[in-house]
Amino acid sequence: MSLYFGVPILLVGAVLQSVWLERVTVLGGRPDLVLLFVITWTIIRGLNEGMVWGMLGGIFCDLLSGGPFGLWTVSLVVVTFIAGQPWVHNLGPTSIRLALMSGLGTFIAHTTFLVLMGLLGYAPNIGRAYATLIMPAVLLNFILSPFSFRFLVFFHQQSLQQGPGAL
Amino acid sequence: MTQRSRPWLPYLLLISALLLLALHEAGVLGPLEDVLSLVVAPVERGMASFGDTVGGLFKTVQDVRELQQQVEEFQRVNDALRVENIRLQEQYVAENQQLRELLNFQTDNPTYDLVGADIVDRGCDIYPCGEVVGQDTNPYLRYLIINVGSRDGVAVGMPVVSSGVTLVGRIARVAPNLSYVQLINDPGSQVAVLLQRSRVSGIVEGREDGALIMTEILPDETVEENEIVITSGLGGLLPKGLVLGQVESVRYLESELFQEAVLRPALDFRRMEVVVVITEFGQSPVEEFVEETE
Repeated sequence: MSLYFGVPILLVGAVLQSVWLERVTVLGGRPDLVLLFVITWTIIRGLNEGMVWGMLGGIFCDLLSGGPFGLWTVSLVVVTFIAGQPWVHNLGPTSIRLALMSGLGTFIAHTTFLVLMGLLGYAPNIGRAYATLIMPAVLLNFILSPFSFRFLVFFHQQSLQQGPGAL
Repeated sequence: MTQRSRPWLPYLLLISALLLLALHEAGVLGPLEDVLSLVVAPVERGMASFGDTVGGLFKTVQDVRELQQQVEEFQRVNDALRVENIRLQEQYVAENQQLRELLNFQTDNPTYDLVGADIVDRGCDIYPCGEVVGQDTNPYLRYLIINVGSRDGVAVGMPVVSSGVTLVGRIARVAPNLSYVQLINDPGSQVAVLLQRSRVSGIVEGREDGALIMTEILPDETVEENEIVITSGLGGLLPKGLVLGQVESVRYLESELFQEAVLRPALDFRRMEVVVVITEFGQSPVEEFVEETE
């Protein structure tokens, strides 16, 4: 059932990321709205729903990229797979878990991105990418995770009121 | 839905994602991507338009807005004149130089018969004009998304310019109503260039941080700051004479074979709103050497 609002949220999130957030840079990094949404949903709703959101969010981001189709999809699916593992529950209360996984997830997503781009022959400068893009993005997404949580927990509660359903 | 009910789903999604990437690399995903982009394109256009509208609402003082528009208009006129000036310099100074060299050549070789000729067919067809609707979501690529596509006659490899003759980049990927422009400061971009005054040649490449670097400048060449960098037209992929920027600084390490120049781009790529795609441009014909047989 989460797909009824998941598809528009992720589509608008990807477009916002392309149209507005790509112009926003803090210390060289940019917030990753779709990445935040899929990690947050995984923390709230668990592995399966989180991975479906990761797949959809990845496809929308790939459609708004001139690079190889599938880079975002693989990265987000990998991140949600890790964020949905049982050991993540041992990291503490939800807010702490989410903040930690937002930072760690950003790091893993970008690392997956870089590895895949390297394999596909793009060869970005790894050192410069970590210093100027990834670490600021990790910090930004860590800071923004509570806002993403407040936004998505509303939809989570709405869906619970309407009763549990498949996806 | 619980994880217990479908334990196979995560693995299926992982495999599907990898399969998507593999199928894209195999080149069989094109039609599906085109169909999906038809869904995304209107949302992206609407959001870009909405963004412009909301941005306008914040400008509450009418006078400030009018003044701002006037300043922008003057800026545009100034930019256009500056580029036109560069174009004219390129056209007439270089032509003058070439004619002088030809005259010297004729004087030095009185026994030769020479026929003067103009280069013709450098005209272009009707250019699709694209509005910039977004930036690439991939942070390691510097691409723009514009709202013209294969339906407008756009194809991969076509040059994209901004006002006047300033090179923006080349078309990297095309959907029916969207195109992805690889900017000249993308790390994967390479453009054969000339310095306008000294005619020193080199290659302009992008860097991850968005810098433009001119490489492969021979160590004995003299490169001065503020020289204009233009496309050389070598290889026939781009028209000759499109402006990329100006030389900001030059560095030479003795351990390296070539000099490098850091360029100041002629455009702020993040602030562009409209670009033009050159769908066709004439090149000076290169005659094939045909060996005469008796």
